[in-house]
Amino acid sequence: MINCDNFFIMKIALAQISPKLGDMNHNFRMHIDYIQKAKKKNVDLLVFPELSLTGYTLKDMVEEIALDPHTDPLFKKLKGLSSEISFVVGFVEEKEKGLYVNSAAFFSHGKIAHIHRKIYLPTYGMFEELKFFGQGKNFHTFPTPFGKAGMLICYDFLHISSSYLLFVGGSELIIAISAAPGRGFSDDEGYASTRMWELMGEAVSRFFQSFVIYCNRVGFEDGKSFAGGSFIYNPGGQLVAKSPYVDEDFLVKNIDLEEIRRFRKYRPYRRDEKPEITLEAFKRIVAKYED
Amino acid sequence: MKINPAFAEKLLTRFIKEELSKFHFKKGILGLSGGLDSTICVYLAVRAIGPKNVVVLIMPYKDTFGRDVQDAMDIARRLKLKPCVINISPMVDAYYTKHPTDNRILKGNKMARERMSILYDFSEREKALILGTSNKTELLLGYGTIHGDMACAINPLGDLYKTQIRQLARHLKIPEKILKKKPTAGLWTGQTDEGELGLSYAKIDKILFQLADLRKSKKEVISEGFPKQDVEKIIRLIKGSEFKRHLPPIPKISARTVGHDFLYPYDRDR
Repeated sequence: MINCDNFFIMKIALAQISPKLGDMNHNFRMHIDYIQKAKKKNVDLLVFPELSLTGYTLKDMVEEIALDPHTDPLFKKLKGLSSEISFVVGFVEEKEKGLYVNSAAFFSHGKIAHIHRKIYLPTYGMFEELKFFGQGKNFHTFPTPFGKAGMLICYDFLHISSSYLLFVGGSELIIAISAAPGRGFSDDEGYASTRMWELMGEAVSRFFQSFVIYCNRVGFEDGKSFAGGSFIYNPGGQLVAKSPYVDEDFLVKNIDLEEIRRFRKYRPYRRDEKPEITLEAFKRIVAKYED
Repeated sequence: MKINPAFAEKLLTRFIKEELSKFHFKKGILGLSGGLDSTICVYLAVRAIGPKNVVVLIMPYKDTFGRDVQDAMDIARRLKLKPCVINISPMVDAYYTKHPTDNRILKGNKMARERMSILYDFSEREKALILGTSNKTELLLGYGTIHGDMACAINPLGDLYKTQIRQLARHLKIPEKILKKKPTAGLWTGQTDEGELGLSYAKIDKILFQLADLRKSKKEVISEGFPKQDVEKIIRLIKGSEFKRHLPPIPKISARTVGHDFLYPYDRDR
């Protein structure tokens, strides 16, 4: 990081990888390689995709591959590696005995700074996450060496309320990790569904005035093709960097954290936001819900 | 219905390459009929893994389809492949000498399964993974022989309608004579898919796209101007062929059963 009077540069890397389905040891080695590579490039924060340590289409493998982040030996090694670089990994967590969740861990300063447990589990069409996973319960922001951050996992990010809650919670970095399969043809390169993620990235970063760091994966699992196209948007809704679609990539980019202040001075959305009014309105609306 | 053919090519070649590597195969194998779908598949396979790693079999029945065999040979030559030609007449005829029939469909299915049997035999001999050539139109209508031409290890063209395969064909610059051919399952001389189905692929695909991709109801599709009898026929074909798109059901007795709640991905540990 380079901190001066009028800029605060941090280096972000996105590992747009293709994990091997159900092969934790292989994926762990791949993570170590990327972490070493990122360290050599003086990266401050390295982000891996959703379920990066396990692969996505696990089905009954969920219970076989789940781990306890506080006692697992591989996680102990990851903690050790995070003394000089921060990183986000995706994994299956056994939260309680027999309760498995789709989680993201933020490693920093030799510790796990935060674990986010996926709340919105897609279970429609080709998705069946609710069949195999329990749901997370909350969206938290948490302190990092780069400012307040919040994490989202894939379908969480497609629910605007998730990012809104992080915004209200003071997030400056919204980190969304994903295993999003592509769907539909587009006139441009890549899948039609990719536009949905980019649109959300642009809108969230612009109106919630945070950096949006989206890391998706690539590769095929049972014919599903993960679409790639990871990206970073600045707090003004401008695209800072983007990975190619469907190809593996290691994207390294400097961002200037001072941009958060600059955009918020220019348009004080956060200052003027009224979460108490939203809260009261929600209470009234939800109270009227019927079966 | 419009596809981005360059993207489709990139994705499907990557799929072929990645699947082979996942299953520890260097080579892929497929049957070449001289028709559009197997031609597209072999073009993609050659681009994905190179001609040295693509094994092609041409499996005619007698000399009924001499022109198709010539076309298949020509495609192989263009792609620098050395095809293996195996005439399936002795095996098929031996069977029908003992169990004669005049039913053309029975014979067609038998031929498709004979070809499948040879492909699987060569798959083992050559250590090559079988690439299927069924397209989305055929899969939805059930227009294929179960355990015959529908049998394969991976199916690269399974999410492209016939009309979309034509778009991809133009992009891949396959010979015009292949593109112009009337699609046929090769069940008997003069057989064409469109003749047998009673509708053109252009019409079928438009209706399938509305029903499958856009999830529209029969009522909605008809109200958009598609002829009622065509829509009903297509729905009948889809419903009647559901069994071709699944593994056979197993009666559940135990606490954990294959197909019910013993659920692992195809790509387990790959």
